[in-house]
Amino acid sequence: MNTRGNLGNSLAGLTILEIGDQLGDYASMLLAGLGAEVIKLEPREGSASRQIGPFASTEPDPEQSIFFWRYNLNKKSAVLDVDDANEQSTLATLAAKADIVLLSGEFETVERRLPQWRQLAEENPRLIVCTITPFGLDGPYRALKATDLVQMAMGGIMAVCGYDPDRDGQYDTPPIAPAMWHSYHLGGEYAAVAMMAAINFRELTGEGQFVDVSVHEAVNTCTEVAIPSYVYAGQTVMRQTARHAAPSVTHMRLSKSADGVFMLASLSPFEREMRALAELADQVGLVHVLGTPEFAELEKEDRVAAAIYRNDLLEQLVESLPADELFHRAQSHGLAWSPIRRPEANLDDPHFTARKSFATIHHPELNRNLRYPGTVASDGENPHFSYTRRAPRLGEHTEEVLRHAQS
Amino acid sequence: MSSEEPKGRRALEGVRVIDLTWLQVGPQATRLLATFGAQVIRVEWRERKAIDFIRYTPPFAPDHANADGGRSQGIARGHANGSFNRAGYFNNTNPGKYGITLNLNHPKGRDLLRVLVRDANVICENFSPGQMDKWGLGYEELRKLNPRIIYIQTTGVGKAGTYKDYVSYGPTAQAFSGLTFLSGLPEPRPPAGWGYSYLDHSPGYFGAIMLMAAIRRQRLSGAGCYIDMSQSETGLMLSGTSIIEHQITGKPTERYGNRMPFLDWAPHGAYRCSGEDAWIAISIQSDAQWRALIEEMGSPDWALDARFATAASRKQHEDDLDAKLNACTAARERYDLMNRLQARGIAAGVVQKAPDRFDNDPQLKARGYYVDLPHSEIGTWPVEGFPAKLSRSPANVGGATGRAAPKLGEDNDFVFGKIAGLSIAEMAALADEGVI
Repeated sequence: MNTRGNLGNSLAGLTILEIGDQLGDYASMLLAGLGAEVIKLEPREGSASRQIGPFASTEPDPEQSIFFWRYNLNKKSAVLDVDDANEQSTLATLAAKADIVLLSGEFETVERRLPQWRQLAEENPRLIVCTITPFGLDGPYRALKATDLVQMAMGGIMAVCGYDPDRDGQYDTPPIAPAMWHSYHLGGEYAAVAMMAAINFRELTGEGQFVDVSVHEAVNTCTEVAIPSYVYAGQTVMRQTARHAAPSVTHMRLSKSADGVFMLASLSPFEREMRALAELADQVGLVHVLGTPEFAELEKEDRVAAAIYRNDLLEQLVESLPADELFHRAQSHGLAWSPIRRPEANLDDPHFTARKSFATIHHPELNRNLRYPGTVASDGENPHFSYTRRAPRLGEHTEEVLRHAQS
Repeated sequence: MSSEEPKGRRALEGVRVIDLTWLQVGPQATRLLATFGAQVIRVEWRERKAIDFIRYTPPFAPDHANADGGRSQGIARGHANGSFNRAGYFNNTNPGKYGITLNLNHPKGRDLLRVLVRDANVICENFSPGQMDKWGLGYEELRKLNPRIIYIQTTGVGKAGTYKDYVSYGPTAQAFSGLTFLSGLPEPRPPAGWGYSYLDHSPGYFGAIMLMAAIRRQRLSGAGCYIDMSQSETGLMLSGTSIIEHQITGKPTERYGNRMPFLDWAPHGAYRCSGEDAWIAISIQSDAQWRALIEEMGSPDWALDARFATAASRKQHEDDLDAKLNACTAARERYDLMNRLQARGIAAGVVQKAPDRFDNDPQLKARGYYVDLPHSEIGTWPVEGFPAKLSRSPANVGGATGRAAPKLGEDNDFVFGKIAGLSIAEMAALADEGVI
């Protein structure tokens, strides 16, 4: 540990047994990035998440799932059929040495496995048993079928994401679930929070416990003003193109830069930002009335017309410059603008390189390194999360894990 | 609605958090620490330009709501009415915290903060980068006072790095990191992005994870910690497989709407139901489920077309498939259809809006998700809960205060008197000087 308390090894000594599917992959990977040892116990055919694409190979292959790679860094894999009666004594020896067992998947599967863990927890009262299921272990929806899309729908995120309605307030496009497994991200992050709370509690009391995470509730926590707007004022927010959902349609729109990149260029109602817009417009030679008494008059008399005027000017400004140039110019004027980048555009961005935001992971089978987004924070020198090992091949550590269990 | 009463010890009991954060991204992390029993002290100041923007952002509690009532008095569009204590979103974001006012632009204010930091476990801030250094309250200074201190700051891009002086809100970080691009229908449609600041929330969850790892280590070894948290970096963590896939294929990432390009699943999307802007999400994961779906739809002729017989073929003709399925679902009532499809083993769920989730979701009700908490000016209101049940150290969003959000400066007497040890006369003098 350096003087700034890097957290990359802070959970060293903790062992997590992970049994389940894509609902649990991410949660345990987060704790693995802080130094916990995570052992995936996989059935002979491999975890379900090995079937999720994209694949590095042309045909689906459980060893080539980029999804599995992404969410299983730093982990070990042992083949052990936890549902097989003959494996129970091995499982018991592993459980006796574990700090946390993470069970994830459909309700029926997790429910079926729980009694066994209730018993093992009696034998190891320090054990924390965390479940992640689509709706939680009780309640009328507990056994409903769900996918990421269905969770994003029922949890409320979809209803606030999408495209503008037409002029009559009618929507001709569906609500949108933002891509890349965010219900699993939310469930996983909250599971990690809950497991850390349970670990802290155990340091105080020596007691383990059961933790029942509901992905449905995790998604529900994350819709910002949607619930307060309804609870306090009875208002339902409306989804709008690439901006905040609100009780009514707002007047901003997206424009494309000279090199064809959509730009997030929005203005807060602060005088400082209006002045910055005027200066940027002057720089590229746009004729405008911002800052004149004429415009002040318009703002007073017709706020909507003033907003439309500003947006038109903003659009002309965005169209007149390449996205990156506008980005840096706007930022130098204190405007929080950014190009709407493809994720991979960040691979070569000097900022993320300087922060070591990407972990370089060696894939011996590919004979190459891949760079994975690997942290959310730095200690000023190094990332707080530390990822060094690619996802395990199926059963790569079976022998090692079983040997350790017997020892 | 129910609130599980905390019984026994709390996971973070005895942990004191000095919370200088504001808006959403910082307060989200400290909300979670309060939920597990930490004593979170929110430090604010009375001047308008220093006051948390969301203290004066709608929705407000109805004008008639008072301390003895709350939602039970009925809802209506309310106003701030000159108060910074009536905003509903602020109330939802800051339950379980103590609230004090302290002027950090005043040297005595900074001295008082140092007093609080001396015995604290954690200090959190999300000022513009460098602000705390200007006050002489940066990590290096504070750890001289308290070597165990855990210091976390959250900014749009991070304090270290090429763009450390860049300004960024949640939406900026979303655009910059790629999350905005990933959301929506394929080109030439623009991105749909996010209908809120996702990156004002997720970094808060990460903040809580890291802080609890640091608190545990501090308890065990006394070590401190400095955390420079970046919203944009968090966005990269949440960009799924896109960045890695790109390194392998060399192809640019494209949007795919609500479809599922990573599995042989089709149809997969949101389909229109009867009623205004009513939709249901349906994920068909196998041919057997497809057959069950068309049976539920009354086995229309189009669905028996060989083009739709296998998953691979359905995916090839997905535009047509979606259009035809939409025409079938459009006459159906959304919850009835959801129940019928679920009964057939199909993953289907209504695209729920706030009224659906708050008034009608039987699962959230049964799990006691919304928690009623009192507020000292606007009465008792429901706040959003914690999405997990812990058997021995339950989450409790009312935290140590048992309240929703604090009024501005509500706990000055308790914190400055009991914790900082000031006398009533000293506090009065500091108030006169514009320090507290």
